[in-house]
Amino acid sequence: MEILWAILVLLGLGLLLGLGLAIATKFFYVKEDERIEEVAKRLPNYNCGSCGYAGCKAMAEAIISGKEENLKKCKPGKEEANFKPIMEYLEEHPNADGSKVKVHL
Amino acid sequence: MNWLLSFVLAIISSMLVDNVVLSRFYGICPFLGVSRKVNSSLGMGLAVVFVIIFSSIICWPLYQLLDLAGIKFMDTVAYILVIASLVQLVGLIIKKYSPSLYKSLGIYLPLITTNCAVLGVAQSNTDQGLSFLDSLGNAIGTSVGFLAVIVIFSCIRVRLESANTPKAFKGLPIALITAAIMAMAFMGLQGLFSGIGA
Repeated sequence: MEILWAILVLLGLGLLLGLGLAIATKFFYVKEDERIEEVAKRLPNYNCGSCGYAGCKAMAEAIISGKEENLKKCKPGKEEANFKPIMEYLEEHPNADGSKVKVHL
Repeated sequence: MNWLLSFVLAIISSMLVDNVVLSRFYGICPFLGVSRKVNSSLGMGLAVVFVIIFSSIICWPLYQLLDLAGIKFMDTVAYILVIASLVQLVGLIIKKYSPSLYKSLGIYLPLITTNCAVLGVAQSNTDQGLSFLDSLGNAIGTSVGFLAVIVIFSCIRVRLESANTPKAFKGLPIALITAAIMAMAFMGLQGLFSGIGA
């Protein structure tokens, strides 16, 4: 009988807390620019840090926010495989106010 | 007025006399890990305050429920469940409102889940059979005590960085010695309530 109660109470508690967290996730959702994810996907993703950022995601963030314009900072990146696709992608996806994200090689 | 007096006494005694970090040695991991900068230690302390107060608010009625169902032995498991969810919630809130704090807390933020100060407060509250108000006072005092001590400690460590310490003592060794001296200083508050008879 005790075991049944233990399972029931913990199951209920887990369900309640899980539901609460699910609602909280919706409530505190951090809207991220989806272009950061897309640019990071086109980088080599070695996360080597030789660009001076903490990883490919951090460099993608810097590119989108306009802090980094020089793609060549990414040492292992290849022009054909990485930089061209990024420039094409950014050409097609301008900022919200219509201006282009400035990048060069 | 009696309940008010015991509430205030519970806060002060668990904050100063029975400080979790310095007299019971709970929560040493974030105490040493996140005390290198004053800002991040303040953030850590506030996160712990939030988690401890809310977990003890939830855990007290939860214990009565477990008692009613005759399964008191499940208390630790249930508390950990509550604490883990609260830590997730704190993580979400900090990530939304202060990404830089989120980055500087790093791995120590999810590690609040296993911070023994949090579980220790919930457990000792119900083990001693405290009333709801007393356990709330205990939670407030303990968590604010943690906040105060970690902020004081980080201020000292910032100054230690530029102090002329012997090479062998640089960093963690001198921090541990400082913590020991702080613990001894807090021992001096031990007789604070002997006059009031509490």
